[in-house]
Amino acid sequence: MAVATDRELLERWRSEPAPLLPLLHAFHERDGFVTEDALRAISRGLRTPLADLFGTVTFYHHLAREPGGAGAARVCTGLICRLNGAVELLERMRAEGAKAMPCSGGCDDPVHVLVGDDVLVGTAAGTLERRPALLPPLNPGDSRECVFSHIRTDDRARIDVYEDTGGYEALKNAVRDLTPQQVIEIIAASGLNGRGGAGFHTGTKWKLVAEAPGEPKTIVCNADEGEPGCFKDRVVMDYDPHAVIEGMALAAYATGATRGFIYLRYEYPRALVILENAIAEARQAGYLGESVLGTGSRFEIYVRRGAGAYICGEEGALLNSLEGRHPFPRNRPPFPVTRGYENKPTVVNNVETLAAAAHIVRNGADWYQSLGIGHHAGTKIVSLSGDIQRPGNYEVPLGFPLRTLLDDWAGGARPRRAIQAVTMAGLSGGFLVGSHLDITLDEPSLRSRGLFLGAGGIMVFDDSRDMIEMAHAAMEFFVAESCGKCFPCRIGTQRLEERLAGRAGPSDLGPWLDEVNDIGRTMKAISACGLGTAAPLISESLVKYFPEQVERHVRRSRDETATLKR
Amino acid sequence: MIMSNPDRKLQKMVIDGVEIDYTPGETIYQIADRSGKHIPTLCNDPRLEPFGGCRLCVVEVDGSSNPVASCTTKATPGMVVRTNTDCLEEYRRVLLELLVSENREIDVDTLRGYASQEFAELVDRYDARSGRFVGVRSGRSRTDDDNPFILRDYDLCISCYRCVRVCAEREGDYAISVMNRGFRTQITTEFEGLLADSACTFCGQCIQTCPTGALADRKAISAAELQGAVEKTRTVCPYCGVGCSVDILTKGDTIVGVHPAMDGPANLGALCVKGQFAFDFVQHQDRLSAPLVRGEDGELHETDWDTALDRAAAGFSDVVANHGRHSVYAVASGRAPNEAAYILQKFMRAGWGTNHIDNCSRA
Repeated sequence: MAVATDRELLERWRSEPAPLLPLLHAFHERDGFVTEDALRAISRGLRTPLADLFGTVTFYHHLAREPGGAGAARVCTGLICRLNGAVELLERMRAEGAKAMPCSGGCDDPVHVLVGDDVLVGTAAGTLERRPALLPPLNPGDSRECVFSHIRTDDRARIDVYEDTGGYEALKNAVRDLTPQQVIEIIAASGLNGRGGAGFHTGTKWKLVAEAPGEPKTIVCNADEGEPGCFKDRVVMDYDPHAVIEGMALAAYATGATRGFIYLRYEYPRALVILENAIAEARQAGYLGESVLGTGSRFEIYVRRGAGAYICGEEGALLNSLEGRHPFPRNRPPFPVTRGYENKPTVVNNVETLAAAAHIVRNGADWYQSLGIGHHAGTKIVSLSGDIQRPGNYEVPLGFPLRTLLDDWAGGARPRRAIQAVTMAGLSGGFLVGSHLDITLDEPSLRSRGLFLGAGGIMVFDDSRDMIEMAHAAMEFFVAESCGKCFPCRIGTQRLEERLAGRAGPSDLGPWLDEVNDIGRTMKAISACGLGTAAPLISESLVKYFPEQVERHVRRSRDETATLKR
Repeated sequence: MIMSNPDRKLQKMVIDGVEIDYTPGETIYQIADRSGKHIPTLCNDPRLEPFGGCRLCVVEVDGSSNPVASCTTKATPGMVVRTNTDCLEEYRRVLLELLVSENREIDVDTLRGYASQEFAELVDRYDARSGRFVGVRSGRSRTDDDNPFILRDYDLCISCYRCVRVCAEREGDYAISVMNRGFRTQITTEFEGLLADSACTFCGQCIQTCPTGALADRKAISAAELQGAVEKTRTVCPYCGVGCSVDILTKGDTIVGVHPAMDGPANLGALCVKGQFAFDFVQHQDRLSAPLVRGEDGELHETDWDTALDRAAAGFSDVVANHGRHSVYAVASGRAPNEAAYILQKFMRAGWGTNHIDNCSRA
């Protein structure tokens, strides 16, 4: 096949909304890296200033600017993969040009490696194996599931199999029997809250978009699952993509939206193919397209692959990224419900939220309510990883005891080990230890302790781990992902990382703690987005729960500095 | 921002215990600013869209769990705001200490640029030279960029992006942008090149909005060693017909630089490369200071005005006598005042009877 010309690539993508990311990927893959000529062509083709375009390209982790960089292997050096030999594996692969990538959402089966669009599992010994993504472990309790209720069915990603278990019935029923307002009422009554971390009431969000003036409206599925230790959206997209599409189509029907985007993180190439197939099937079957199920209403879904930036999971940065702008978070208000994609009303929902919505419209608000424990509505998928017998995604009823999840469902710590700490909200909730693990997983219980579930990532560290090292690795992640827009996060993450590494900072414990606490307090209070407010929870919880390790660390750093000076 | 909608009814809010009227659409910062509050900021330039990056302008708002950036938050009816609680002042001090820790130096010559003292002034106001938060520095000065006008001393950069925004929003050049992210952020041009190879027009607006002196007026700082205080004289740019207001900077009798007048009605702080940098002619050694006429030897010789004017008149008359009245042509300097331009066209039209008169600003 002939290599596509610049003009062909530009023509291909300019006809679709949000063309910059796919254009960059197209040139990147064609040329093996992003060349200066490619940027000049895109700049002319999209009428985007060249300096802006260049700056934006440098923002993304995976867009190579040297020849051959596009095909280089990428080894995840996230926390969990590090515990499983990622650093050793990377060293072995360096000679072939392999590069490190931050947590890439393969923590249930480390070490996660990308070679081109191949997803592999590596080991410290240097072996690489291609094997299918793990399904969620069978639910060992008798609690009912929502999002995972059919996910273990063979070939669930095929539309006929999806339809066999009631798939797309919710959409058909809604279009036939329900007004858009009634769909919103069902979602609102179910108590479904956003499952991406912020926990905003989904029914309210849909209602705000439905009522907001301005057309066209947009549904954005936030599939930029970048939070370290979170890999739940990936499994939903890999094994139940039509649930996500049906959820988006329902959201579109409810709000009057005519276009949808799935903003997928770069590191999920398998999901990219699966989603694109599923969208084509759904279009063929009339669930998407110019006239959804013959209603005359249009709804198209476009998959847009990110290029490696944690911050693009923040909805303002995500929207800027889609629009081809520099992916800084946006100032809020205005919120996306009134000024979202291209300043028009936009629903931004997480993958899990949208998949749950399809089940809720099919089974009813009361059914979803009843899945939770006590007065807590519904379920939440928790991604469990690290030093635990059975890592994986577990769909737990809200209000579920964390201890039961860790010890009974996931089999507890490894033999002869005890759990030293777990993280909450991936890395964004800091560490939790000891009796603090006796909590139930629901926002009220967590918030009353200053915690939050976030996107539902829980990493487990047993008593063989050096918590300073874990905290340092976590802070390295935030340093690498801080966007640089706001001062407290840009400088604060760097200074915290240096102190956790022992490279800089006061040599006496008192002043050391003062600095770390002052930075943390300031970042938490006045950073511009969730990254900056969450990152210091790492150092804060470290200082709070591991005072001896901190004291030893400061003393050791001082001694090493003294040795160096001598 | 100019609020011109007369239908908008004034609303009320409370800042630091005092009720204040505001026009819907105003931000907390704008209202506080015109009420005489000195909320600190480093990323804000009133001519630019609010950015919300530096977080120094955060204020407490009743009902909001965390402080909000006053520059990006619009006032709402009945809003209760506190601008200077101990807690806020502490955050601001820590932020400034962090900024001090990332830079090579804080105190810079005022000749670097119009806003160059903003950072040092805030550091002093918050007593932020504590030496805390030591670590690696951010920013890399571009010592390789030897253009004659703009010093790119990014060792002093605090990533407020005022330069990037002024270039895009005010000048429309989009010559500079942001590369990398987080602490590795750098201000850059396309492909990290030199300004001369970029879309830069050397208007100098980035220099004048830079709050740390990281971008500096190279011509002005070459006069840093000159004795004497810098004096400012308000005048109008002598180049084209726009009439940009400028403040001419002098040390003694020497012109050392130009600041655009932020309140200049025609330019609101904007200038072009000529108004900003091309002032050397005023005191240049080659500048004519006496009339010259060409002698028999072919060289120019100093003379008096009467002799020079007689020679010029004779030259014009000879040409017209030999070749007709349309054989002469005058081009008026764009830098000439109206009166001189008027006289010149009169000279051509009434004096010689030709319409061959033009000006040099036609390009």
